[in-house]
Amino acid sequence: MLSALQNPRQAAAQILNFGLILSTAFMMWKGLSVISDSPSPIVVVLSGSMEPAFQRGDLLFLWNRNFMEETKVGEIVVYNVKGKNIPIVHRLVRKFGVGEAAKLLTKGDNNSADDTELYAKGQDYIERKDIIGSVVAYIPFVGYVTILLSEHPWLKTVMLGIMGLVVVLQRE
Amino acid sequence: MHSSLVRLQNVFGFFTTVAFVVAALIAASDLAAPRTPKSNIQVKDVSVLKGRPHYYSNKIEEYAQIRFSLSADLSSLFTWNTKQVFVYVSASWPNSTSVALSNEAVIWDMIITNPSADHLTNLGPSAMKKLKRSAKGKPIDPSRGKLELKNQKPKYSISAPGGKLALTNDVVLKVHYNVQPWVGVLTWTPQVEFLGWKKMRGGVSKVFSLPAVKAKKQPVKKD
Repeated sequence: MLSALQNPRQAAAQILNFGLILSTAFMMWKGLSVISDSPSPIVVVLSGSMEPAFQRGDLLFLWNRNFMEETKVGEIVVYNVKGKNIPIVHRLVRKFGVGEAAKLLTKGDNNSADDTELYAKGQDYIERKDIIGSVVAYIPFVGYVTILLSEHPWLKTVMLGIMGLVVVLQRE
Repeated sequence: MHSSLVRLQNVFGFFTTVAFVVAALIAASDLAAPRTPKSNIQVKDVSVLKGRPHYYSNKIEEYAQIRFSLSADLSSLFTWNTKQVFVYVSASWPNSTSVALSNEAVIWDMIITNPSADHLTNLGPSAMKKLKRSAKGKPIDPSRGKLELKNQKPKYSISAPGGKLALTNDVVLKVHYNVQPWVGVLTWTPQVEFLGWKKMRGGVSKVFSLPAVKAKKQPVKKD
């Protein structure tokens, strides 16, 4: 088990290997971000406001380009509100005007009222630039791990530790 | 080489690969099921009122209420990978400066779950029991896609940013749907036909105009 420590060349190779895995994951994330033009191309659902379509922990894939047509009513969009740093996944229910200046209103399928109350003070509508993507694909439950990790931060340390140990100690 | 850790890793890796492939196959099976939705929507009663459209709105503005009749057959959208179908009716109208339908607002919507997703709906116990009983023993129930609404009251009254809506011309109602899968790609009413997925037949109302603001009933004066 400690053979890695006795052979510095091998130890260096394994640390390099670990770095490679991390940077590959990072590159894939950023690559997806460039392709979809979204700062966060994959999001995890955190609330039940879109039930029964999306549950907590479901994974959503976003697309933020308008090739053929504008973002329109009925699409499920992820948007940011000024002053709040949690993105919200809701459905677009109203659109007034066209282009960048169009006024957009959202609503959660499971909420009885629209999102006017969720927006910043004095803000009645959101705009296209507040949207970080429209939901195009869906995988259930897989993202629940990240909810566990954010609710129990010690799990993060444990997982990173185990991952590091496994990569460093395993021999090719 | 064959430590229990490596075995565990292999088992986990194999599990995720298989799960991913099966999920991809299920998602791809959507394309094999033809979609032939049709609907017919008619505008019934249109009125424009002046007041607060919602309990939380703080200004008086004009808002429109559009009653409609809808008969739709969306049963072909229900397959084993369908979690729910979100049906919605929107009203579209042009700006004063152009003819393009640049404004759109949802006036009515409905979530139709496939029986496999009934347990996830937000309903009271008795309504839930009724919903579950309506499709007992059936994991897929295409008959839920058949809608017959007569003179339906809208769920949402519409208002516009300027506060003016009365006497708007060229308003049209459209029926749309959004299929939410258990896994895979979300789909909306298609703009182009693709394999067995046809465009919605019908689904657009006749063009109509919003009337003038309806005067509030004056209290009858008694001498």
